[in-house]
Amino acid sequence: MEIQQETCINESLYDVLVIGAGIAGEESALKLADMGYRVLLVEKEPSIGGKMILLSKVFPTLDCAACITTPKVSETARHPNITILTLTEVEEIVRDTKNRFSVTLKKKPRYVVEKDCTGCQECEKACPAIVNDQFQFNLTARKAVYIPFTIANPRVALIDIDNCLLCGACEKACPSNCIDFTQKEEQLKITAKSVIVSTGFKLFDPIQIERYGFGRYKNVITSMQMERQLAPTRPFNNILRPSDGKVPDKIAYVFCAGSRDHTVGNPICSQVCCMYSTKQAQLLMGALPMADVSLYYINIRAFGKGFDEFYEQAKDMGAKYVKGKIASITEKENGNLILRYEDIATGKVTEKEHDLVVLSVGILANPGITRVFKKERLETDALNYIRQTDLLQSPAITSIEGVFAAGTATAPMDIPDTIMSAGAAATETSSYLARLS
Amino acid sequence: MKKKIGVYVCHCGGNISDHVDIEKVKAAVRDEADVYLVKNTLFACADSSQKEIGSDIENEHLDAIVVASCSPKLHLNTFRGVAQRAGLNPYNYVQVNIREQSSWAHSDNKTGATEKAILLVKAGIAKAKESEALQSLKIPAANVVAVIGAGVGGMKTAIGLADMGTEVYLIEKDFFVGGRTPQWGTVSPNGDEGAILTEKLYKEVVRRPNITLFTGAELVEKSGSIGNFDLKIALRPRFVSGNPSTEAMQRAAEACPVAVKDDFNFGLTNRRAFMLPAQGQFPQVPAIDQSACTRCGECTAACHEVDLTQEVQTITLHVGAFVVNTGFDPYQPAQGEYGYGELDNVITLPQFRRLMEMNESELVFNGKKIKKIAYIYCVGSRQDDDEGNTYCSRYCCTATSLTAVLAKKKFGNIINFHFNRGIRTYGKHELVYEAASKQGDIFLQFSLKSIPQIEKRGNKTYVKVKDILTAGKELETEADLIVLVTGMVPRKNELLAQQLKIPTGRDHFFNEIHMKLRPVETVIDGVLIAGTCQSPKNILETVNSSMAAAAKINSVLTKGELSLEPTLAKVNPAACDWCDNCSKACPFDAILQTEINGKKVARVNESNCKGCGMCTPVCPTDAIDLAGYTNAQVESMIDALAEA
Amino acid sequence: MPKILVFSTEKISDPAIDLAGLLKKHYPYTVYTISVPCSSCIKPRWIMHAYEKGFDGVFIAADGSDCSYGESCSDRTAEVVATTHRLMKEKGLKPSQLKMAAICSVCAEPFVKHITSFMKDLSQKEN
Ligand SMILES: Cc1cc2nc3c(=O)[nH]c(=O)nc-3n(C[C@H](O)[C@H](O)[C@H](O)COP(=O)(O)OP(=O)(O)OC[C@H]3O[C@@H](n4cnc5c(N)ncnc54)[C@H](O)[C@@H]3O)c2cc1C
Ligand SMILES: Cc1cc2nc3c(=O)[nH]c(=O)nc-3n(C[C@H](O)[C@H](O)[C@H](O)COP(=O)(O)OP(=O)(O)OC[C@H]3O[C@@H](n4cnc5c(N)ncnc54)[C@H](O)[C@@H]3O)c2cc1C
Ligand code: SF4
Ligand code: SF4
Ligand code: SF4
Ligand code: SF4
Repeated sequence: MEIQQETCINESLYDVLVIGAGIAGEESALKLADMGYRVLLVEKEPSIGGKMILLSKVFPTLDCAACITTPKVSETARHPNITILTLTEVEEIVRDTKNRFSVTLKKKPRYVVEKDCTGCQECEKACPAIVNDQFQFNLTARKAVYIPFTIANPRVALIDIDNCLLCGACEKACPSNCIDFTQKEEQLKITAKSVIVSTGFKLFDPIQIERYGFGRYKNVITSMQMERQLAPTRPFNNILRPSDGKVPDKIAYVFCAGSRDHTVGNPICSQVCCMYSTKQAQLLMGALPMADVSLYYINIRAFGKGFDEFYEQAKDMGAKYVKGKIASITEKENGNLILRYEDIATGKVTEKEHDLVVLSVGILANPGITRVFKKERLETDALNYIRQTDLLQSPAITSIEGVFAAGTATAPMDIPDTIMSAGAAATETSSYLARLS
Repeated sequence: MKKKIGVYVCHCGGNISDHVDIEKVKAAVRDEADVYLVKNTLFACADSSQKEIGSDIENEHLDAIVVASCSPKLHLNTFRGVAQRAGLNPYNYVQVNIREQSSWAHSDNKTGATEKAILLVKAGIAKAKESEALQSLKIPAANVVAVIGAGVGGMKTAIGLADMGTEVYLIEKDFFVGGRTPQWGTVSPNGDEGAILTEKLYKEVVRRPNITLFTGAELVEKSGSIGNFDLKIALRPRFVSGNPSTEAMQRAAEACPVAVKDDFNFGLTNRRAFMLPAQGQFPQVPAIDQSACTRCGECTAACHEVDLTQEVQTITLHVGAFVVNTGFDPYQPAQGEYGYGELDNVITLPQFRRLMEMNESELVFNGKKIKKIAYIYCVGSRQDDDEGNTYCSRYCCTATSLTAVLAKKKFGNIINFHFNRGIRTYGKHELVYEAASKQGDIFLQFSLKSIPQIEKRGNKTYVKVKDILTAGKELETEADLIVLVTGMVPRKNELLAQQLKIPTGRDHFFNEIHMKLRPVETVIDGVLIAGTCQSPKNILETVNSSMAAAAKINSVLTKGELSLEPTLAKVNPAACDWCDNCSKACPFDAILQTEINGKKVARVNESNCKGCGMCTPVCPTDAIDLAGYTNAQVESMIDALAEA
Repeated sequence: MPKILVFSTEKISDPAIDLAGLLKKHYPYTVYTISVPCSSCIKPRWIMHAYEKGFDGVFIAADGSDCSYGESCSDRTAEVVATTHRLMKEKGLKPSQLKMAAICSVCAEPFVKHITSFMKDLSQKEN
């Protein structure tokens, strides 16, 4: 059974290889699959959905992100024309004939037989090894054997072998006998007529900006960590600050952390952080009615449909927007933080105390995938995003014929813009495939 | 009657269970007759829960299921799919909305929310008991799309569709395609020329045999529904046939004695009733503006291709769907708004862009050389609720920064003052703002509470503002030209909106069905929206949305058939006495007369029936019902909800 | 507290009622909704059935001019209301126990206003 499946994959010819199963990859894959094309969707993480599935709610509609994205995720997972490989990375893509790419994939072992796991989590209970949970952005811990998060798809356990003690406790605990330590990394070879790169974005790591104290001061966290605290699959049932588990009541947002900043090599605006911070502020004011939320900004980029109204609504709800660039953050003994900034409204350097600071971290390009293209070069632009060679006429076209780009792989953008860019990539790919035949 | 019903109550992570006592709900419905099992799920929509429901259906041989969770608008199809895959007819599935209509609506009252949830679930069970298996109908669908509007957006939609094998009618109201893009000269973010972009697109359009372009064309009538729409298109006469030579065109235009304001230059110049295409407008064939033409015949002598006898033609087309790409208009400032229409040196950004195109090396307006330019941002955008447009127009901060850079580059000695409300050059556009700052432009910021004041003293114009960036200091500057950075508004399109029934939002742009995940679809099946008619966008965003609309509608029509919702009207011939009431009530001609055993009765034509149910209340003998909404179903739901 | 049955429409007014919930615009919990494709398909006998079973009021959240099934919807719905009013009179019910208003797909606020004032009217009449 196992082997059959493997040879089936090995021999497969796909119309499209989609790399990265965030909302962009899913949307492109679904549109092409609906048109009747065979799609292979490759995701390096153990579960699909990208960043969106981890968000709390979405601006400006305040729809629950999990609720609106899970239908997309399941539709993708179930589509008869889509094959998904998780824990899989692309090693190499070379054009073998004029119109075909030969692709080498590396599938990491899960150490759990995917089709047999029922997601009962007995193994998690048995496992003695505790490590930071990357899907909660290290706010909480998980076991070495774990299911990534409640609404993960596939909702199947995996073993983080680097942290596993090899004690075998999970093997004994598993009622369906699906722990398998003998699994090995597999190399798969497939052929694809076209490729869509939808590898998304990276988050700026604020440890680079020393004056913000991230990594040193416990109560300085990133916006992604706050997203997790506000999400329905949140780790705690409340908003807590890390140093002492106290419910914060004076929260500060520091905008443009790692964006619009030549000193960290990222001169552009990240396009989403003003709005997601505004969203978080609204959610925080809802969850903690007594809390004071101040947002320190340079300019508010509330430009899209319904955004400016959403920003005005946050102000009406009591969010304090302060125009001023943060010069430094210092920590007090009780874990509170002093923000020093020039208050543009008064022109004076001012200090203010907060008990939790959220850094509105920016979006960065994730250009690693360009290295797998051999013989032909997948070019990037000056900011390391995939270069769109015919930007205004055919935005999905890249420097390689037959390779297209979708979503935040090309520029920072929010979810609707990502959906539209992915739709454009689907049209471009389908048109290309039609020309081939 | 269904006898083995499975009921699933969802926590929705906490969205429901925070305000509704799930255990109480389960306990209250467990003993309902015909309920076979009751379970709770953390996320009913998660794949694992879906699998569980599916295997319950198979293993326990459930004959109906009820999921009490969020609004059916989100997950009705998800769970219908679960049922179908497990071998249960999808119409034996009932979704009960205990989130939007209970836990959230009554989050202030946990007891009340729980009580309501219990009754809603009981009503759902009652509906499921009475539910019947329905089969969906397949109808042929035309893989043909009418694209309305041929700006960059419409042309990209058409090209994308054509390349995927869909036949396209590209319908442009104007006599020339290209929309607004050719009006701007150099465009951001890559310095392309707008006119060259539209030229390339036009060439791609005419090269494709499966795109038929109509100019001077307007949709005047529409009937039918997705897969099969019938339309009437009115073609206004161009009064020019064939392809006159450039010289003949020029001569005819010069001969024409009627001058009117030239829209392409936003009224800065005049044109003739005999209209010449501008650079970037296509086809490069002239047209006569019927509303201005006096039929004097002067042009006929100069140009043999003129034919003043042409009349409006109406053609009919059959299409499967529409993509609406009707674009935007620049906001038109009110008389006196920042001195517009009153001071002779106040113009809009679109006018200024035309002025820049028309001036070669020196920037001159009304005979006066321009050196100092004051741009006033957010005109017609970000206004107060009661005043007008509350939205941000998205494109204009970037376009103005670019304009300032281009003006300085082209005309040298220019000083730009930007009176803004916080610059919104999002994403990569930040680099344009940076370029403007680097060349020495001056940025001053105001708030809606204290907008810039414009004053004419002698023959000089001054702009005064309380500048937020310098702690509210009052600053004043002299300006030779004041440019109002006007926002985007949707084009006036009453006839089209009325024909296609596309809902508009508070901002008057066409509204999508779901802002986040379905940005190009509308509530009307088979009518999609793309480009700036949905919301302000730049060219790149317009092109992306247009190609996304192409992908969406191609994926629906490409199979050549559609399956229809089977919630249709059904006649009980035994009770029907053919009074004709139902057929008169039906807006879709879906009821025919037929004879059964010599008795005249009504019959439903299923491919016409839309399932509105308008025919059902008018029947005096209760002989016609809507599937899924029979008396038994609705009344048993009422019984359940009425329980004390 | 009086009990109200609301007939909403799947594409137009039900989304508005959902939106009211999403925005946590609270209204009394004794308001129950049955959603149908179009307000013009509501049968007078259903409304009468509701009164018979103990509902104090019925509210039709009509499509109004937004109806995707065409303009005749408004007139047809008005006819349904007129017929029902006749039947109500026969049974000695007050016409004010049946209310109708057009609720567009984003009319969350108007819906809540209509329903709370209807609720108030009904409870005053009861006392
Ligand atoms: C804190 C925060 C809050 C936000 N809130 C909102 C909001 O409220 N509303 C909104 O509209 N937007 C919001 N956004 C933006 C939103 O997250 C993005 O628009 C969206 O996630 C982009 O989707 P994507 O598919 O392009 O990228 P991603 O979500 O990054 O997905 C890329 C996928 O590719 C995979 N991948 C990467 N490299 C490889 C490889 N080499 N091989 C295989 N797979 C690979 C990744 O694992 C990932 O699954 C927010 C962003 C942040 C950071
Ligand atoms: C001053 C200014 C500067 C700009 N600069 C830039 C820039 O530098 N970079 C950039 O990316 N963007 C820029 N833009 C934005 C750009 O103009 C738009 O993104 C683009 O024009 C949108 O294209 P569209 O196809 O949606 O609409 P439009 O260009 O408006 O085209 C719509 C078409 O639909 C037709 N139409 C309308 N109604 C009907 C109907 N009922 N039936 C048939 N046809 C109909 C119209 O006649 C028109 O041809 C600028 C805008 C302005 C105002
Ligand atoms: S691996 Fe076994 S124990 Fe762990 S979740 Fe899967 S089935 Fe349960
Ligand atoms: S979106 Fe806002 S916070 Fe983010 S980089 Fe741009 S201006 Fe800064
Ligand atoms: S883009 Fe800039 S100028 Fe345009 S409305 Fe928004 S803030 Fe105002
Ligand atoms: S349900 Fe509507 S469309 Fe169908 S027959 Fe009745 S009135 Fe006509």
